[in-house]
Parts: sequence; structure tokens; C-alpha cells
Amino acid sequence: MTTPDSTTSTPVDSIDSAAAPWRSPKWTAVSSFGVFALILPLVLLRFGAGTFMVHLLITFFLWSVVAQSWNLVLGVSGIYSFAQIALFAVGGWFTGVLSMSYGWNPWLSLALAPIVTTVAALIIGLPSLRLRGVYVVLLTLAFHELLRNYVTNGPRVISGGGYGLIGVPRLDFGPFSGFSHLVPSYYLALGFFVVATFSIWWVFQSPIGVAFAALRDSEGYAVGRGIDQFRIKLFLFGFSAFFTGLAGGLMTHYLGSISQSIFAFSVLINVLAMIVIGGWGSFGGPILGTALLLGLQEGLRDLSDFRTLVLGLALASVAVLAPSGLWPKMRDGFRNFLDESPDVEDESEEGRDLLADPGDGSEHGRGAQSAAPG
Amino acid sequence: MSELLQASWGGVLAGSVYGLMAIGLTLIWGAVRLLNLAHGALYVAGAYAAWTVINIGLPLAVGIPVAVLAAGILGYGMHVTVIRPMLGRPGWDSASIIATVGVAIALQAATLLVFGPRVKQIPAVIPGSTVVSSVRISYQGLVIVLVAVVSLVALFLYLRSSRQGMAIRAISQHMDAAALMGVPVHRTYALVMIISAGLAGLAGVLLSSVLFLSPTSGFTPMIIALLVTIFGGLGSVKGTIVAAYLIGILESSVQVYLGGAWALPVLFLFIIFMLIVRPSGLFGVPEAQRL
Repeated sequence: MTTPDSTTSTPVDSIDSAAAPWRSPKWTAVSSFGVFALILPLVLLRFGAGTFMVHLLITFFLWSVVAQSWNLVLGVSGIYSFAQIALFAVGGWFTGVLSMSYGWNPWLSLALAPIVTTVAALIIGLPSLRLRGVYVVLLTLAFHELLRNYVTNGPRVISGGGYGLIGVPRLDFGPFSGFSHLVPSYYLALGFFVVATFSIWWVFQSPIGVAFAALRDSEGYAVGRGIDQFRIKLFLFGFSAFFTGLAGGLMTHYLGSISQSIFAFSVLINVLAMIVIGGWGSFGGPILGTALLLGLQEGLRDLSDFRTLVLGLALASVAVLAPSGLWPKMRDGFRNFLDESPDVEDESEEGRDLLADPGDGSEHGRGAQSAAPG
Repeated sequence: MSELLQASWGGVLAGSVYGLMAIGLTLIWGAVRLLNLAHGALYVAGAYAAWTVINIGLPLAVGIPVAVLAAGILGYGMHVTVIRPMLGRPGWDSASIIATVGVAIALQAATLLVFGPRVKQIPAVIPGSTVVSSVRISYQGLVIVLVAVVSLVALFLYLRSSRQGMAIRAISQHMDAAALMGVPVHRTYALVMIISAGLAGLAGVLLSSVLFLSPTSGFTPMIIALLVTIFGGLGSVKGTIVAAYLIGILESSVQVYLGGAWALPVLFLFIIFMLIVRPSGLFGVPEAQRL
């Protein structure tokens, strides 16, 4: 925790980057990921199953952004909002209806979708954020159900007669649409994933990030130091809705449809499982969780009916046995295995894990971090 | 006039069952500070247990206690596997909600695997109905109201005067103090889980003889029970019972006057309004908010 009062006015760059090395990303890791991700579809498409793999990767990029933004609200700032899928649907429906029924250019409606979603999130957030804990769960679930009801029974343009929107125009990639629809969609989703992930990473490291870490760790102290709880929470709510809405819009245009089944409880649970199993409150957790869950879904396809059972048991056992998720566990295991001088970046992140169990060594990380500014 | 009577009868019927569901939720919340999102799954489990008993030819009168027992055993199982290992650990608030969601999914998937997706119905105890000033009242409805009211009154007396009931209340008021006075905390938690799950199972059998039964049919009653608990004030038994009947009557009036599709949306709008105006519910003590 650097100085908590930096939230109010001090800009980021005034903090000496040498004193806070975790503020700069690991460029080698990032650039090798970039090169790998850029080449991947070109390699994959040469194989028979490659088309499906690319489709799976696009799905991964979009859902992992949803999981990451929800994690920002749920895990990092501890607002038990269950409205994230509803916001995803707002984005999808907005751009879907405008481009399909009103003949808007899909790019234009897609660009407006995140803004509309953010406004919707602020409307939901204003009453929700004045409440705490369980009350927020109920209020946001109420919004979820109200929206489901509206898109099912609402005007025909929106409900599609109960079947949702079918035949939403796909994005027009102009000269690049030559090969197939898949490749440009892949690069678009990749670009979106990179921008969203970087923004979320930036929020984690920014004064706002420091402020919500402070709020979570010691609410009384943070408020005493002049952090405006309500404003910070509302900002996070809107910020996470922005990317969620955009992901919803992209998904709708990519699949060419969106239906009421997005509101099913199982979808909500799936994304929740991504966050919890991956590691809730940590930066990398939701990404790992999304990869794991999508992989699990494909891998267990033969088990069909048992899949949900396995998912439920996995969710419960992770919550009971490793409440901070697999990401911190994996990182600790990896570090113990290598047993080299610990990396500063990882060290700092560990202190940010919401449910970090003081027993499993994370106390060390937290101590090291709070020692930095003092 | 007959519409008004119709609405009130429907409200009393629905309110009785919601009361059973919601009391379970509020008891767990009061004692353990746990929002049990597996409550709907326990409801379904109870109903399926009764259905199995009826299916092999035994009467519903046997099915009802079996349902309560089956759900109670599951509740005890939850206590042993989920609640006891997690209690008192950091992050209890969020981890426990997630864990109960996991249990709910697993239970729902298990019922789907065992019983299949086809909807089932539990037969009425006494078939037939009577007409009281143009309102049709089924005998089954009367049985439901009777069983629910008797159980609620019994529970109320149990909580007020029995030794275990006092232990439960002591723990909800102040866990540490209760533990220091020699109240067996873990045993009482287990007891609360069993009672609460058993009530969910009872609600499951009763409501499934009016509605249909499928592996996912516990979700809506659970959401309404949540609305009821929050409306009544989390942790308040008296508030929950009052709120259950008010919500039941509200729901059934909306169904009578506006049509069935409006019932849930109106309830949700009502609760959103309620949470904004009076977040602690009817009889709830406002949460200590020092910040």
C-alpha cells in the first residue's frame, strides 16, 4: 500500500517507479505472449481441428474479459454484484437491436454499446452501492431478473418473440474479410483482450487500485484517510461495465445472435466459477480460471451430464479448501519449486489477493508491500 | 369481492410455504451469518425424496416426514463438509456464499442425473375442493396451510422456550458470549442447519403438490424466500413470518389483477424500492454502520 491519500490528487508518475517496481509490466513476458498470440491462428488453421480451436480462443478472449471485470467488482472491491451478466446482455442487446432492426452500421452501434452499458451500470450502482453484502446480492439479482423478464416479454423488436435476436449482422472487416470471418474476428478479440487486460492491470496499480486495496484491508483506516468509498466503488462498477458491455457486443456480432438463455443461472455460475477457481481478487486468477473452465467444458464434453456435477463439486471444494483460488497456490508452488530469489512483481500481487489466507505465507507478501512506502 | 377473496386465499397459501422456506434462511443467517444459496436445492431434494416414497406406493403422509428427514440429512452433510471447515477462517463471508452455490449446482446436477429432466407432480393428500363464496379452495391447499402454520408455531415455541431454541437465539445474538456461557457452538450450528434444511424439504413437498417438480424448480421459491427474509429483516423470525404473508398476498393480488407474468417483476420492483427506503427490513435491526 503506497500512500492512501494519493487517490485524491497526486498523479501516478509522481511516485518513483524504482520504489514501486511492480508498477511496470514484465515486458519480456508480454511481448512473447504477443508474438505467440499473433502467429497462433496462422499455424492452427493449417490443421483440421484448427478452426474450432480459433473459435475457442475467441470465446476465451471475450469471456476472460467479462470474468476479469467482474472480478474487479466482486473480488477486488468486495461488492457482491450479480448484475454482470445482465450488463453483458445490455451491451449485446443494444448493438444487436440497433444493427439488426434499425439498420445501423454494426461498428457504430458496437462503439456505443459500452457507453450505454456503463450508464446502465451507474443506474444499477447508485442504489446498490449504498447497501452492503447480502443486500447487494439480492438487489443486483433483482435487476438481472427484471431485465430477463423485459427481454422475454418486451416489445417484439427486443424479444424476437421470445427467441432473442437471430441474424444479427456480422462485423464487416472490409479488405481483410478475404480469408474467412474467423481470422479478423480472432485479431479483433485479441486486440480487445489485450486492451481490456492492460486497462484492468493499470487500475490494479493506479492510485484507485491502491485505494480499493486499502478499503478492503482496513475500511476504517482508509475512510479515515479521506478515501471516498462511494465514488471509488461507483467508478469501479462503471469501469467494469464498460468492458463487459463491449464484450457482450462483440460476442453478439461474432455469433450473429444473442438469446434469453444468457440469463440462465448456469451462465452466471459458470463465470463465477471462472473467478473463484482461478483466484478471486487476484489479477491473473480470472484469466487462468476462464482458460481452465473452457478447457474443462471441452475436455468433459463426453461426460455431458456429469459436467455440471463436477463443476459444482469443484466450486465447493475450491471455496472450502483454497478460498484464494488456484492462481496464488500455483504461484507459490512454482516459486517454492524454483526456490530462487522471489520476484518483486509477484510479491506485490500476493498482498492484493482478497482471500489470502494469512497461514499460507501470503502474510509475507503483504508485509513486504506495506513496508515499501514507510 | 370474489377477486379480493381469491387474492387473499392465494396469498395465505403462498405465504405459508414461503414462510417455511424463509424461516430456514433467516435462522441460518441469524446463527451462522451464512447466506445459504443451496436452500433451493434442499427444497428440490426434499420433494424428490417424497416423490420416490410415493412412487413405490406409500401414501404422502409417509412422504412428508421422509422429505424432512432427507433434507435434514443433507443439511447436516453441508454442515460437516462445508460450514465446519470454513467457520472462522478469513474471507468467510464470500467463500461461504460461493461454497453454497457450488453445493447447489452439485445437488441440482445430481437430481438431474438420478431423476431425469421430466417434470413430476406429487399427488394431493386429499383430492377435491370446495367453493366458499365463489372462491375455489382445494383441500390440498387447506392441508398445506395447516401443516405450514402448525410447523411455524411449533418452531416459534421451540425457539422461545426449549433449551436448544434458547441456545440458537443466544448464538444469533452474540456468538462469543454464548460460547463463553457454555453453549455448544458447533452442535448448535449443526442443529440450525438440520432444522433449516428440514423446513426447506417440507416446503418442497408441500409446494410441489401445487406446482410441478423438476431439478431446477427450487430456484424461484428460493429467490422469493430471499426477498421475504430481506423484507422481514434478516435474522428476525417474527419479521420473516409477517413478511412471508405480506409477500404472498402481494404476489397473489398481482396475479389476480394483472396476470401471472407480472408477479415476479412487481415483487422485484417492490423489493428494490424497499431496499432503497428501508434496507434493514420490517423488523430488522439496522446494521451497525460506523463508516
